[in-house]
Amino acid sequence: MIPTSLDDAVALLMQLEVTDTGDLTVLQEALVTMAFENRVSSAQQPHVARAARLLGTITNGSSTNALADLGSVSAALDQALNARVVNDANAHVRAAPGKSQTKSRAKPRTKNPAKSRAQPAVIANTIDNSVVERLPEPRTIAGESLPDDADLSLLRDFLSEAGEYIAASEVALLTLEANPREFEAVNTVFRAFHTVKGTAAFLGLAHIAEFAHEAESLLMRVRDRQINYGPACADLALRSVDMLKSLLGAVEDALVGDGLLLHPSGYHALMTALDEYNPAVDCESLQTAPASDAPSRVARVESTTEATIRVRIDRLDRLINMVGELVIAQTMIAGDPHMAGAQSPELTRKVNHAGKIVRELQELSMSMRMVPLRSTFQKLARVVRDTASKVGKSVQFTTDGDDVEIDRNLVDILADPLVHMVRNAVDHGIEQSDDRDRAGKSRTGSVRLSAYHSSGNVVVDLIDDGGGLHRDRIVDKAIENGLIESDRGMTDNEVFNLIFAPGFSTAENVTEISGRGVGLDVVRRNLELIRGRLEITSTAGAGTTFSLRLPLTLAVTEGMLVRVGVERFVIPLTQIHMSFRPEPSMLSTVVGQGEMVLRRGVLMPIVRLHRTFSVQGAIENPLAALLVIVGDGAQRTALMVDELLGQQQVVAKPLGEALGRIPGFSGGAILGDGRVGLILDVRETMSLTTPLLQLAS
Amino acid sequence: MTTTSTQSSAAATIVASAARAGKYLTFFLAGEEYGLEILKVSEIIGMQAITRVPRTPDFVRGVINLRGKVIPITDLRLKFGMDASTEQESCIIVVQLRDVQTGIVVDRVSEVVMLAEADIADPPDFANGVQTDLLLGIGKAGGCVRLLLDIDKVLAAHEVAQLTESTMAHPV
Repeated sequence: MIPTSLDDAVALLMQLEVTDTGDLTVLQEALVTMAFENRVSSAQQPHVARAARLLGTITNGSSTNALADLGSVSAALDQALNARVVNDANAHVRAAPGKSQTKSRAKPRTKNPAKSRAQPAVIANTIDNSVVERLPEPRTIAGESLPDDADLSLLRDFLSEAGEYIAASEVALLTLEANPREFEAVNTVFRAFHTVKGTAAFLGLAHIAEFAHEAESLLMRVRDRQINYGPACADLALRSVDMLKSLLGAVEDALVGDGLLLHPSGYHALMTALDEYNPAVDCESLQTAPASDAPSRVARVESTTEATIRVRIDRLDRLINMVGELVIAQTMIAGDPHMAGAQSPELTRKVNHAGKIVRELQELSMSMRMVPLRSTFQKLARVVRDTASKVGKSVQFTTDGDDVEIDRNLVDILADPLVHMVRNAVDHGIEQSDDRDRAGKSRTGSVRLSAYHSSGNVVVDLIDDGGGLHRDRIVDKAIENGLIESDRGMTDNEVFNLIFAPGFSTAENVTEISGRGVGLDVVRRNLELIRGRLEITSTAGAGTTFSLRLPLTLAVTEGMLVRVGVERFVIPLTQIHMSFRPEPSMLSTVVGQGEMVLRRGVLMPIVRLHRTFSVQGAIENPLAALLVIVGDGAQRTALMVDELLGQQQVVAKPLGEALGRIPGFSGGAILGDGRVGLILDVRETMSLTTPLLQLAS
Repeated sequence: MTTTSTQSSAAATIVASAARAGKYLTFFLAGEEYGLEILKVSEIIGMQAITRVPRTPDFVRGVINLRGKVIPITDLRLKFGMDASTEQESCIIVVQLRDVQTGIVVDRVSEVVMLAEADIADPPDFANGVQTDLLLGIGKAGGCVRLLLDIDKVLAAHEVAQLTESTMAHPV
């Protein structure tokens, strides 16, 4: 048995004799683990370390008096246990207000020591009292360096871990603001700061520890019902979270940079503010909450997840890529002419069986990189709150479908567009309360994020009940800007999509939508990057819904394999609206060279792919070729290809660094026959033929 | 002063050439024998289907699938302005330049030779504008002349990029 807690270790030690070298070695290793992996508090650590050292001398035979040394080990462990008891006793003392209380141990953990130790991430970093006591009053430092002996990998782990804590505490603070009696939320934030403080102190990041300590003091007073969590306090707490983010950002910069830690601006101001916080500002009766339930609310996170391990994302990415390769390699075997003509049913069966395993493996590997949208949504709650308070609107933010999972790589790219859109929805979508009153709506606007699966995609809807978009005004503006000639034949979605055109935001008179263009073309570009699509539905006066349609993952692209002459290209399926063979009546030319096709009232330029990419042997007559309609709204373009070879899942790869970026292509993919197919970048392909487009419009 | 500078330049030459001694993979291009530092070579593969990449210079033959990796292929004959290959034996040498893999098409791989410092001469200066800056030197061992390529310079990415741009300027 390997002891995992100090109690276990003591119990084991009592059963052992000096001669049980094997068991003693096990015990010694366990103690080393405890001592140096933060399983015990810093007060206990020296004792445990000493016990481990003594045990080492016994097991390796260098001890002169093994029996006496074993006694010393036992004594050291007892001391370690006592050190914990002292801590726990402190934790139960209701500390006096002010700074003195923070010197007591913040984590009661007598209730179930074994259990709490099983979650080292939560309790691991009990801080060193001496560090806190040494903390000076706010000082003026221009910056300091990372500690000389800083363990870089530890620092990186700390950053990622602290990032998670911060995210969790941000959510908790918002919950708390909505419901100040939600004490579990205070505990969450408190724990976050506490852990960050402990680890930061351990890593020698004194100013972070110092800051976290101040913030923690404030929260502790909230937790202990000494002060009320009012707006001023909430603001201070959120600012603290932001500051902590900046501080961690500075560490990250220092890691990649010259190792110099810069203090974010406002650091000292906030320190002072925390120090001088006057609870009277948020004065309200504190007595309503039953004081008796405070001690029973023990700070403890019940982990909702099963046992997990952290894996570096690049390893995971490599694994997923390799599995992607495996799938293609397997397809190549199954599709080999020799297989098709195989006489042996046994062989066919084996290959099919391998195929099944490979597909399961692919699904499994994909699922490993999937993360719920929850944390993305939670960050947006903060955006809504900040934007709403800045523009003086009252907005309620709700989410559903938080558990919908999406590729982690997508999440990062998705975050920015969502922030833009949510901010826009609050800023421009939702009306002022008075206007809402007049329109007969409730004074509080509503912004809702909703995620769900739909035909192999993830759809994220952003729904506001604001003023909505006005089709006529957008059309007028678009005509004025020369984006379109008329809106004849354009669907609402197509018209609304015009607001994403670059420069559309320069609209001056279109009050309902002005400003909505800010950054919206960036939103669309980001979405295209992840092969997402955006649809807008809106009813004037009743609100707007933005629907983001995203692929589940970037690892595999659904592509349409097309043939142009002797070459084959892959067009991402999400970019394709339809394909058809044109009839003579649809075709027209502009100035004798720009070819256009008219379909369902929409006039689109034709891009002859064989000309753009100078391919031999392609069909020259559009009537014999196929037109594939790609692009959005006013940007629709008809790509002329010889034939569609079928839909295929491909793994996109860069075209080799030596080649650099080749305009018109986003990458290459290994096709079923083992050759490389080029993946068309629709937007770039369209811009390669811009002169024609300009002529056309 | 003059003596000092002569000495130092001589020293520099020795240092530069000292780095040249080593094993070279030799191959043929249009009847001439070339050499490539063996440490830069990652493997030799047979000719295979190359996917042409539009809007790249001629000597970029395209890309191939090297066990799941997409790597670009440069045709050295075209790169050096020779006629396109008619040889049957064309094969691809995959070279590793820092962390980038790239393939070069050559007529035929010959052998691996060990060249001592004494076997390597500096590239001669031709008056008629022959590009000698792409050469590390000339190997003269065993009675035959081998042109030792500075493959990094030959495949310098910026040159490819420049050529790409010039092709772009005159779209087809």
